[in-house]
Amino acid sequence: MNCDRVKELFADYLIGNLDEIAKAEVDAHLAGCASCREETRSLQTVWKKLAALPEERPSPELDIRFHAMLEAYRQGMKQADRDASPRVTLSDWLSGLWPRQPALQFAVAVVLFALGLLLGPAFTQRERNNTAGGGGTNDRALAQLREEVSNMKEMVTLALLQQSSASERLRGVHWSYQLEQPDREVLSALLRALDSDPNVNVRLAALDALQQFARNAQVKQGLLDSLPRQQSPLVQIELINLMVELKEKESVPVLKALLQNSELNSSVRERAEWGLQKLG
Amino acid sequence: MDSTTDELLMLRVRDGEVEKLGVLYERHRTPLFSFFVRLTGNAQAGEDLVHDVFLRMLKYRHTFETGNRFTTWMYQVARNAHFDSWRRRQHEVSLDAQEMEDREALLSPDPTPDVKLRHDQEVKLLQKALAGLPVESREVLVLSRFQNLKYEQIAGILDCGVGAVKMRVHRALEELRVKFSQLAGEEAYEL
Repeated sequence: MNCDRVKELFADYLIGNLDEIAKAEVDAHLAGCASCREETRSLQTVWKKLAALPEERPSPELDIRFHAMLEAYRQGMKQADRDASPRVTLSDWLSGLWPRQPALQFAVAVVLFALGLLLGPAFTQRERNNTAGGGGTNDRALAQLREEVSNMKEMVTLALLQQSSASERLRGVHWSYQLEQPDREVLSALLRALDSDPNVNVRLAALDALQQFARNAQVKQGLLDSLPRQQSPLVQIELINLMVELKEKESVPVLKALLQNSELNSSVRERAEWGLQKLG
Repeated sequence: MDSTTDELLMLRVRDGEVEKLGVLYERHRTPLFSFFVRLTGNAQAGEDLVHDVFLRMLKYRHTFETGNRFTTWMYQVARNAHFDSWRRRQHEVSLDAQEMEDREALLSPDPTPDVKLRHDQEVKLLQKALAGLPVESREVLVLSRFQNLKYEQIAGILDCGVGAVKMRVHRALEELRVKFSQLAGEEAYEL
């Protein structure tokens, strides 16, 4: 056995991991090689010394944080399940209240306007008082709570977007609406859904969700990149509409390149030409 | 006490029984905390990172697959969390004076002051020496010396071959020996 081989076996020798034959060979080499013997002895000493480092224990504060986080995540999942169950939405309920007769519609609008004039100042005054009287600690606690809630919403969104069922992923997209400023990870997940989700409804929903962040550089680039890659003409048309709506000049070369494709769907071609005209 | 294996628990977490993460937390929070404190030299950073690891476990629970070993997966998540936090801070942590004082306060009391003093000094030097190593060396030493992991598992965590882990252990220990001797020499000179 030579010195290099001893170095190779050292890690196992150190923890008593060698079989008897190998160990005897290493020992025999060490007996005859002063340099390896000295090196092995000094490294074994350092290894043993490391045992002196104390075992560290976390504070009870960590347990509280963990359990609060887990509970918030569970609540988030429950909420997502509730949201998925069929129910009457607020807009359904409001439209049920809305009268069919134009004359009645006008009357209701006038009443609501008058109520707004009467009650509005009272509410804003109270709001102002609350803001003026609020303590700094409460503000901080509230800000922290908001951040935690926002993190949970992001987690639920990401978790749902990664599910195998399309309806679950759709729920994920809808959850993203609850985020005021989604982080890069959520935006990337939405862009991935737009780009490659096998279900066209999920892709369309992702596009809708991304519209509100279309000024963000990452989103803008993602939308531009997605346009030529899209398999669904419907999504392509929606993307073109969005580019026109945003007056996005950077989409001009992308649209021109799209029109070079001889196999382009005729409706998409028409829309792309319209888009170029609008943006040109 | 729940005797279900870590792997089975994590599979249940993955499949929606997220409350089972509480059992895994009870089992692994202390070794994980030790891992981070030895890596960063900072107890507060250690707690933040443990919290982050369990949060990531929820976030990425779908990536845990049947046949995965839980501890290997957990330390992979832990390494990523540590790397991200390091990147955020833009500089590697070294033990500063205040942290050293905090850590000295953690040391267990010893009945004979002389022995205690020598022991404390040695621990302090070791911590300093460890903190002065490159993060890759520190990582392989902490994983092999303290976390009760086999070289095969460490290879899985570090995404390299077992032979490479063994060579890294040897090299890291040699670096630690040199650093420790240097610091001990400086200390003796100062005294």
